[in-house]
Parts: sequence; C-alpha cells; structure tokens
Amino acid sequence: MDSQAPAPAQHPKYAWPEKPRLIGTRVSRIDGPLKVTGRAKYSYDILRPGMLYGRIVRSPHAHARLKSIDATAAEKAPGVKALLITIKPGDKVLYPGQEIGALAAATEQQAADALRLIKVEWDVLPALATVEQSMRPEAPQVFTPANTRRGTAQEDGNLDTGFAAAAHTVEGTYSTQVQTHTSLETHGCICEWNGENLTAWVSTQAVHGTREGFAAGLKIPQANVRVITEFMGGGFGSKFGPDIQGLLCARVAKAAGAPVKMMLDRKEEHLTTGNRPSAFARVRAGVAADGKLTAFDAQTWGTGGAGAGSDYPLPYIYTFPNRRRTHTDVYINSGQQRAMRAPGHPQGCFVTEVLMDELADRVRMDPMEFRLKNLPPLAPNAMWAKYFPMGAERINWKSRHVTGDPTPGPIKRGLGCSANRWGGAGQGARAHCEIGSDGSVVMRCGTQDIGTGNRTIMAMVVAETLGLEVNQVTIELGDSNQPFAPGSGGSTTAAAVMPAMRVTAGKARDALFERIAPQLGVPVDQISMGVGTVLVSLSTRDPLSDAQSAARSGQAPSSRSISWRDACRLLGTIPVSVDGQWERGLSAGGTSGVQFADVEVDIETGITKVRKIVCVQDCGLIVDAKTAETQCYGGIISGLNYAVFEERILDRNTANMVNPNMEWYHMAGQSDIPEIDVVLVDQPERGVIGIGEPPAVATAAAVANAIRNATGVTLRSIPITPDRLLTELERAGGTN
Amino acid sequence: MAGGMDLLGLMKDYIVSPDRIVSIKGLDQTIAGADSGIRIGAATKIADLADNVLVRKMYPALATAAESVGTPQIRNMGTVGGNIMQRPRCWYFRNEEFNCLKKGGSRCFAVEGENQFHAIFGDGPCHIVHPSSLAVPVIAYGGKFRVAGPNGSRDIDAGEFFQMPNTNLYGESVLQPNEIVTHVILPAPGQRSAGYEVRFKQSHDWPLAAASVNLVMSGQTVKSARLVMGAVAPVPWRSQAAERVLAGKTITEAIAVEAANAALASAKPMSGNAYKIRVAKTAVKRAVLRAAGVAWS
Repeated sequence: MDSQAPAPAQHPKYAWPEKPRLIGTRVSRIDGPLKVTGRAKYSYDILRPGMLYGRIVRSPHAHARLKSIDATAAEKAPGVKALLITIKPGDKVLYPGQEIGALAAATEQQAADALRLIKVEWDVLPALATVEQSMRPEAPQVFTPANTRRGTAQEDGNLDTGFAAAAHTVEGTYSTQVQTHTSLETHGCICEWNGENLTAWVSTQAVHGTREGFAAGLKIPQANVRVITEFMGGGFGSKFGPDIQGLLCARVAKAAGAPVKMMLDRKEEHLTTGNRPSAFARVRAGVAADGKLTAFDAQTWGTGGAGAGSDYPLPYIYTFPNRRRTHTDVYINSGQQRAMRAPGHPQGCFVTEVLMDELADRVRMDPMEFRLKNLPPLAPNAMWAKYFPMGAERINWKSRHVTGDPTPGPIKRGLGCSANRWGGAGQGARAHCEIGSDGSVVMRCGTQDIGTGNRTIMAMVVAETLGLEVNQVTIELGDSNQPFAPGSGGSTTAAAVMPAMRVTAGKARDALFERIAPQLGVPVDQISMGVGTVLVSLSTRDPLSDAQSAARSGQAPSSRSISWRDACRLLGTIPVSVDGQWERGLSAGGTSGVQFADVEVDIETGITKVRKIVCVQDCGLIVDAKTAETQCYGGIISGLNYAVFEERILDRNTANMVNPNMEWYHMAGQSDIPEIDVVLVDQPERGVIGIGEPPAVATAAAVANAIRNATGVTLRSIPITPDRLLTELERAGGTN
Repeated sequence: MAGGMDLLGLMKDYIVSPDRIVSIKGLDQTIAGADSGIRIGAATKIADLADNVLVRKMYPALATAAESVGTPQIRNMGTVGGNIMQRPRCWYFRNEEFNCLKKGGSRCFAVEGENQFHAIFGDGPCHIVHPSSLAVPVIAYGGKFRVAGPNGSRDIDAGEFFQMPNTNLYGESVLQPNEIVTHVILPAPGQRSAGYEVRFKQSHDWPLAAASVNLVMSGQTVKSARLVMGAVAPVPWRSQAAERVLAGKTITEAIAVEAANAALASAKPMSGNAYKIRVAKTAVKRAVLRAAGVAWS
C-alpha cells in the first residue's frame, strides 16, 4: 500500500490505495440518523442558560438619509436588555434591510415588538431598482463615482476575420435574474462571553475564517474567540464570516451580559445575506457553413446590488477563435451579491448554451453534434466530448425532434443539453489523530460539514487507512479550536481535507506500528494493516502464542493477525497522537460534466414540467458515491429553480423586494422535482476533487434548451415563468 | 382562531396585531347531508373536506379545490371557514414596508409596480385577487354561508357575500365585525361539475387562475350552467356571459373555448399580467370539458 522509498510528488508516501475497500463505495451519511430524528443540533437549535434573543434594526428604505432616530421607547420596552444604534443623523443607507442597530430581549417576540418602537425619520432619496433605471443617462447619481463601472475589453483573435468567415450570425440579448441563496438554515449565531473570551455558535462555512472575522471586527485577539459549527443547514457561498449580524450579536451580548441568539428571518435572508448577480449579454456570434464557430462579440452587464460586481465567464467552454467581450457592473439599491454556488458559471453557461442551440439551428445541425464540433480538446479536466454521447444515451437523444414539437395538442415535449466546468482543487487542511489503547480513533479537523457529507467521507478515508469500519472512527469537526482547515467554498473542501485525513491517519498508523513493534518483538517493517487487524510476519521470535493466533486467523503461522483492539492495547496509557496535513499528489482540480433535460410544456398555461435530468459528472477520485450523487441532486434542483422558478422581484418604484419569503419566491417542492439520473465518472488517478458546485451550473441552460426544442420559441431570459413563456408564444403566434 | 393558518402569518408580518385572540375551535367541524345538499361546519379541516366521500362524489369541483390548497400541513390545520375568510395574499398588502390602500395608505402599489399575480378584472382601486380556493366552487354550486351574529343566524348567498374594493376597501366580504361564518351550505349539484386550477408550481403554490363549473343537464344538453373563476379578481368572479354560452349546448371543445373567450372578454389586465387571460381561459375550458367528460387536446 505504501512505499518505503522517499516519495516523489507523483507518488506520495500515503498514496490512495489501488484497491480500496471503502473509498468509492456507497456509504450513507454517518449523521443521517441524527438529522432525521432531530437530534443533530444546528446553530438555530442552540440554547444557552439565560439566553436572550437579538434582532437587527434595519432600514425600510432603499436609499435614504437619516434625519433622526429615537430608541427610548424600545429601550424601555418589556424584556429589552440591550440596544445599540450604529447609524447617526446624516448617514445614508443604500439598500432595504441595511443594518442600523440591534437589540436583545428576553423573548423573540419582545425583541421583534421592541424594534417597531424605534422612531426613525428619514429623508427618502431616489432609489435605483433596476439596471435599466441605473443605466439611464438621466438617472440620479446614487453611487460614487458612478452608477456603473465599465471594465476593459477582453479580446482574442480578430473579430472582423471571424465575422467574415461566418455563414450565419445570431444576435440577441440574453439575461438571467437575481437568485438568492435561500439556505434552509438562515444566517446567524449565538454569542456567549466569558470575561473577554467569546464563544460563538455560528451557521458558517468557515469556522476559522469566522474566528478571524470576530477578532478583527471586535478588536480582540483571535485567541479569545472560539467558533463552533457542529451541524450546518446550507450556505451556498453566503456564509464565510460573522457578518454584520454576528458582530452586532457579540456586541449586544456583551452589553446585556448574557448569551444572545441572533438568527435572521427569511426576509432578512433575501434582503441582506447575498445573492447571485443578474447577468445581461447583448451578443453577436458567427458560425461557418461547416458548423465551426467563428466569432463572438458581447457587451455584458449585470447587477450585484449596492456597489458590488457582477462579472461572469463568457463565452463558456466552447471555442470561439475570435472574440471580444466588455462587462459593465451596474449598481442598484439592493443588498450586495455574494459568492453563490459556482459564482458566474450558471450565467455564462445559460447565455452561451442557448446561443449554441440557436447557432446549431442556423447550420441545421443536431445541437449535440454541433457542440462536439466546437469543444476544446479532450483532457482530464475537459471530458465533454466523451460525456455528451454518454448522457445522450441516457436521455434517449435519438428520439429528439427538431426545434418545435410537431405533436398536436397543448403538451409539447423537448430535449436539451449543456456543459459545465469547475475547479474544485483544495489545500491547506491540517488534522490531528489519536488512537487510544481501547482501539478508539478520534480525528480532529477544523473543517466543517455544511451539509455535503464531509463528515462521512472523512470517516471513510480514516477507516480505509486504518483498516477499520466507518463507525469505528470518531470525526470531530466544526470547531476553531481544532487544527486549521480552510473555509468550505469553491468546492475545495474534499480536495483540502481528504488528503489531510489520508496523511494524518497514515502517520497515526505508522506511529502505532512504531510503538507496538518492540512489544511484538518484530522490526516495524514486519507489521502491516489488515481489516480490523494488525498483521505481523513471523520471521522472528514472537512473545504471543503462535497457536492462539493461528487458530484465530486460520492461517499458516508464517504470518499472524492481531485484532485491532489487541494491538492498540499494547499502547498502554499513552495514546498515539499525531498531527498531519494536506500533501501534494492526493488531490487535483478541474472537473467537467454535461447535463440533459427532458421537459414537457403546456403551451396553454405556460407551465413547464421538467420530466428528467441526466447528469454526467466527474470529480476525480470518488470517495463516497452516495454523497457525491446527492451533491448532484442538490445542484440540479438548484439549477432547475434557476431555470423556472427563482427570482428576486424588486418593486420598480421603491426597490423594496416584494417576495422576501418562500411563498412568492418560488422554489421547487417535491412535486416539481423530476427524475434525476446521475452518472458519476470516477477518475481515481487524479485524486480527490470537489463536486459541490459543478452540478448546479448546467441545468438551467439544458432546461431552457429543452423548452426551446419543445415549443419552438427561444427564451433568452430566465426564469422561464408562465408569464414569459406565454408572452413569447403569443409573439411567435403559437407553436409551429 | 381555529387553524391559525392565516392569522398567525398576518401577526408575524405585523399586518394585524390583535389585543385579544378568541378560540373558535369549538365551531362545527362536521360534514353532513342536508336536504338534497350538504352542510359543512366552518371548523372542518380542509383535509377532511378533501377526503369526504360525499363531497368527492357530489361536489368534485369542491374536492379538487380542497385538495389543492396549500400543503398537507396547511390542509390538516386550516379550516373551511378560515379558507373563506383569509386575507389577500397580495405581496404589497403582506409586506410591512408598503402602506397600501387596503391598509389605509394612499395608493395601490400594484398599479405601477409588480402586478404579474394581480387581478385582471375589476376597476380597483385595489387589485388583489381573492385568495379563497374553496369560495370558487361554493359559488358555482349556488351555496350559502350561514353567519351567526348578535341577532342569531342568517344565510347569505355565497355569490353576494364577497365585496369588491370599491364597495369595501378594508375587508373582502359583507361579514360584520360581530359576525362569524359557522357553515357552508350547498344545494344539490348539477349532474355534471368540475374544477380546474393552474398553478405555477405543482407543490405549495397559489393558483394563477382557477375555474369551477356546475352544469344542470338535460341528457347531453346543458340546461343551465354556473361558472366561476378564481385568482382573477378581488372576488371569486362569476361569468354569466360564459354561462349563457353553455346553456342549451352540448359540450364540445369548440363550445368550451367559446365559453372561455366569453368569460375573459371583459378582462382588463394590468401592465404585467395579460398572460393571465390565457391562463384563465385554459382553466375555464378545461373545467368545462372535465365536467362534461370530454378529453381536451
């Protein structure tokens, strides 16, 4: 399994096993039973003795200047223990929900009631609710130095040559909406002070990063802060620090002299905790008569809210030899964007992939064949040319009709496809492993399981390395007192943490062998790992009974096995205790995948029913096939929502969000979720790569293309609501 | 409060802040045959209504409406009376930041704002759609609401119960503050009836449009019809024009389309909801065809 020779980078000392016993199998989440029985305690569930409930004071306006604020009545309200105001007259707010203070009260309801007793007077200023409003020449200047920020052109090749070579061109404006993260567990924390030391239970994707954030924000040493996230209900890129609510929570907890729970509500989530920026693209693209792409020219823009960017990769994946693209950030009076599951990629994918289907129609090619003709060369991180035919088989692509279902009646069927790419490399995780004399194994790592199954795959790697079963390993994570591991973003966690698990468990195994070798009376190189056993080859005197061992193992006495427990018992009172960390050669970056959608559109109601999604996806060495698949399910459902349902809707006159809930902010429920067929492609030679983000990228484009194939009308804008679809069908005079 | 499905939401959103809450869980929650029709207690759970054998057999439009309300949890807690008396789901009305007309403000924000889910009938000044799914078939079946007040009980024709905003801006019905709905009473249905609801999401969502139709037949010919649409106007919207199209006819797809066109002929969409005309036409057409047992193509 491991070589005694010094390990070159290509062949690390603790390389992945060639014939793994657990890795690559289907293991159910080890914390599944805790979660489904409600015993897993999320930040939201933490209760501390004497705990108060905090609420944030927020601006109701999108753009306003404070005239006066009077919190006297709120301070005196029943149950209120602490209140602080962080805005002063003359200060401006730039989006609805912007934080201007906080309070803590004995009950949640008292806190919410007290908020409404704060008398605030504002000068309400003109607000920008849409990119169109912000980009108008006569728009009021709300942002400094301007409402928009134009980037520099990205250019390659020669556009004139490219368009001269084009037999056909497509021109159009494509757009995607603002989507909010809508994590099931909202943002927030419980802050408890002990003197100058803060313990915070936070719903976060980064326990160490959040510790730093608290220390910096509160101007206290990092050593004084402990952040705990045992279980976490989703973040999707929006939870990397204490945020304003965390710092306000800590400050009111200090002021009140009591622990304070400050979990945001759904409305606050939508308004202030991030979103995926909108994207617009005015595109002109050319294709030669033989189906080769020739040119791509785009002006793009989008909004990340009040002063935040909105760039995204474009064109996506396919090779346009001559291209130019200029992006402009447009600011409006809404909450700022944050990284959201594959930032930028679903936008770039949607624009490019819908364009691809339109171009394929111009040259009368099958859209998949057209893609195959324009893909980058096959490579370990660029496997689309192989995956497209695999997915086509699973979706029955050969049954596809040309654009526009000719079947009579209101129900139209269609198929569509698209591709995705992502990085998913990680590094920097550290861990500590202890093996006790009773055989127990504890692995500590200050990573976090944000709902992905990290805890489970960590246990799998440790168990694999020590010849144990998953339930014989205790994983401790989600605590900034544990060895450092990076935040869980960019699909980096598996690639950062699994090598650390492998190396640290491997070092613990070596340390165990070192310790017990003298007692076994053999050189350490005669000890190896079995399954639940330690194997000793018998070339020297053995203090334990050969007969007993032979009887137990049924083997000839040339080697014998000692049970894991018996071997560990030889440790006596001092456990094995080793540190380890990520090493090169066990992980990589760069994934590729394709998706196919099969949809049914009712052209008399504009309702789209997604029947099936096929996903062909790689992520290097697959650790747990089951949790990797569930990452695909989650990503696909998120992409389906992006295609059809989700949209942050701002009132165009006030910039207040009209659907800050889960009633009118539509998201698929059980009945809206299609059959999902996931094909995971294992690439064991590449090592571990993350899979959290890639499956969320391509679904919307595949669904949009399937709707186009079904109805014959081109929707260049998502979400494809009944409103948009019926309007477009009407314009086209119905289906063909 | 009985199920609390609407009231608690209104309170959490600070749309209402009552000083006192009175339990009305003791209201009748039975469903019983009465004369040749049926009597439904106001505290009947929506789930029980949807599952009731008599309702499913005699009043399919009501059963369809009941089983598509909310979620299983809402149907298990929510009551028939609560569904009928719930306040509008208009996102301006429900949002604390908008002091809209209905809450005593000076304007309906939907007019120049986001109105894709608002009314396509009515002259305002408020443009809500009525939120009750059950009221639509109740009116189609010619039902009544039994109302208790200080002077005892009275029955109000369901078709006369709901009020347009130009009559009653701050409420949606004729019910007085000292009155309460105790029963829904339905007469015998026509030989054929059905409902059809179009929803954006198939899971938990409000209809974009719905229709209930109740046909009194003479053989294969419609003797008389009642046709009511939901989610298109501030009240459940009866279309006598469509009813006239159906009367005296044998139902075919062409007749159903004609009825649908008649039902929507006087629609006045707002800036962003013209698509609802098409959706509502489809709901009417399919309800009529479903009632007549004709498959649509």
